[in-house]
Amino acid sequence: MLQKKICMLGSFAVGKTSLVRRYVESIYSDAYLTTVGVKIDKKTVQLSAQDVTLVLWDLYGEDEFQKIRWAHFRGASGYVLVADGTRQATLEKAISLEDGVRQAVGSIPFVFVLNKADLASSWEVDAGMEDRLVARGWDVMRSSAKTGENVENAFRKLTEKMLGA
Amino acid sequence: MPDDPVIRLPLDPNEEVSADAGKSFEKLRHLILAPEQEGLARLRDRVENPEQRASDLSAVLPEAIRLLRQQGRAEDLAEVLAPTVESALRESVQKDPTTLADALFPVMGPAIRRSILQTLRLLFESFNEAMEQSLSLRGLQWRFEALRTGRPFSEIVLLHSLVFRVEQVFLIHKKTSLPLCHVVAPSVAMQDPSLVSGMLSAIQDFVRDSFQGSQGQVIEKLQVGELEVWVEDGPQAVIAAVIRGMAPPAYRSELVEAVERIHRKFAHQLEKFQGETSPFDSATEDLTPCLESLHREKGSLRPRPYMLVFACVALLLLGGWFAFSARRNHKWRAYAESLGQQPGIVVTSSGRHGGRFVISGLRDPLSADPQALLQSSGLNPTQAEFHWSAYYALDDPILQKRAANLLKPPASVSLGVTDGVLHVQGVAPDDWLASFPARAAMIPGIRDVEMSRLAGASEAEFQRLQGVIRAAVVTFPIGSAEIIPSQSASLKVLLPEITALLQEAESLHESVVINVVGHSDSTGEESTNQLLSKNRADTVTWALVHDGSPRSSLRPRGVASAQPLRPETDEEARQYNRSVTFSIGTTVAPNP
Repeated sequence: MLQKKICMLGSFAVGKTSLVRRYVESIYSDAYLTTVGVKIDKKTVQLSAQDVTLVLWDLYGEDEFQKIRWAHFRGASGYVLVADGTRQATLEKAISLEDGVRQAVGSIPFVFVLNKADLASSWEVDAGMEDRLVARGWDVMRSSAKTGENVENAFRKLTEKMLGA
Repeated sequence: MPDDPVIRLPLDPNEEVSADAGKSFEKLRHLILAPEQEGLARLRDRVENPEQRASDLSAVLPEAIRLLRQQGRAEDLAEVLAPTVESALRESVQKDPTTLADALFPVMGPAIRRSILQTLRLLFESFNEAMEQSLSLRGLQWRFEALRTGRPFSEIVLLHSLVFRVEQVFLIHKKTSLPLCHVVAPSVAMQDPSLVSGMLSAIQDFVRDSFQGSQGQVIEKLQVGELEVWVEDGPQAVIAAVIRGMAPPAYRSELVEAVERIHRKFAHQLEKFQGETSPFDSATEDLTPCLESLHREKGSLRPRPYMLVFACVALLLLGGWFAFSARRNHKWRAYAESLGQQPGIVVTSSGRHGGRFVISGLRDPLSADPQALLQSSGLNPTQAEFHWSAYYALDDPILQKRAANLLKPPASVSLGVTDGVLHVQGVAPDDWLASFPARAAMIPGIRDVEMSRLAGASEAEFQRLQGVIRAAVVTFPIGSAEIIPSQSASLKVLLPEITALLQEAESLHESVVINVVGHSDSTGEESTNQLLSKNRADTVTWALVHDGSPRSSLRPRGVASAQPLRPETDEEARQYNRSVTFSIGTTVAPNP
């Protein structure tokens, strides 16, 4: 069995937990996020006839009270970087978090997800910005935890990158 | 044979040597070095010839293995040989299973039998233990706990009789926190190893970060109630054992050994781990020995002899008490039933209540006393409790008592009640008798009074006196109207009766006439007899008047032989007919 540890990373309230909630196996309550600062979930992705078990470390979103525990990144094979498309500030935070990961554990595969794509009317992030990130080599996706858009794809894409497929 | 550069003698190339000298030298060299050269050649042949080498090794191999065992290094050899033996066995089975099956046949039968016996023994042991537990006080407590918590009884027994049990063992890759291998004890609910391993590592990180622990430090033990998680750290992987109960400190060394063994066996795989866990599948055999458990001493669970005696005595006492209680209850029920049959008592309910026997119903105050009946039935009166409502019973015996209570009859009067009818008989004083009908009519439950056999005292006396007087006979000699002395005495006895009769008649407001009837026998002339009989009546009348009887009440008359007292069949009858008798005529006297 192939297993990979991945992290969910992003600002507070960008929808990391909502993004995974409907798509994962979980035995722990969300309360762990605020107490221990992390909640472990599991998701199995099938990639070219091979089952890959992703062990998701859903990290508490960084805010003014709590910093990311970089120790949780130890041994991670990849991560999902999440920002809220209706809040420009979360995108900027995501950029700085990506930098933080590189400093903590080096360059590891990740996908960038702009969440809340269903709230098109409140969308703040301009397409130009997305293009610039793509130009930097980022995999950028718009997703919606509400409609399920691109959620599976994001995990699949990350798995592909981790396995070097 | 090529010359060996090592053993060739160094010759000075500039030195001139004659052919003869060269030959001589060659001979000398051969003489001096030939034995060594041959020895070396033989040695080289032994080293380079595989067949020879195998032959040499076979000579020392058994001795070498024996030495290994003596040095206590047999396990190393077993570890090294195991894969080869395994693959050899596998190949043998693949090639022809019957060879191995034939070889194993003599040992498989006994092995299977032993395994079955062992399983049965364990089954009986656990059954015995469960039986012992279910009969003890503690067993009852556990049964209650099973009811309360909804868990099976066997699980509760196991939990309490276990000193400790290692339920799960995780082998976790330290860097990625991913589970490499996981073993779980039978009948233990299993959690997802990935999630548990991750969370365990996250908690380690959390504690380290929160309390400034260094990276190398790990939490060695987590404890939640009766559950403990022991963590044994290694350079690449950790072992986490989930333990229920109190494991001995020595168990830690087993974990240490397991961690060391795994690091030794899987050093390369741990180093290169990229998420593929299948290389660690064989770590199961290193983790499974860590799934230990220890039960409490069986001895302490066995019922001790004094407990058995106590249980028997308790059982006997209980049985005795049940029998006694059943017998007592039967007596009480019989008593309640007999009470209900008593006149004037209606039992509406009866039964045990708070250790007492309670009887409720209706009771006429004149009925039998339930307490007195209780004493005669041999029951403890203090255990009885009665709740009676008073009422008037219509049972004949109660009516009779009620009548007697209300009428208070004199001893000469007897009362009886049949179907609600009061029967009264006897002689009663006149004043009692006068008020009797009115009072009898007032008695509750009496629907009629039958008093034809009840008489007043005066009336009775009056009747008696009449009888006495009517029975009196005064006889005379033949042809004579003289009272002979013996008859005179009889007459004197009669006198007070006559006086009394007249007095009673007066009190009863009746007018009485006493007919003094003279008789004669049938011999002689009837006219003479008529005269004679009249004389006889007169004589008696005058005698009575003489002694004080009022003349007006006496009516003498003669009937000759017309009303003989006896048929004159003989002289004696004839003599009896020569007499005076008395009859009484009454008329109601006018009120004075």
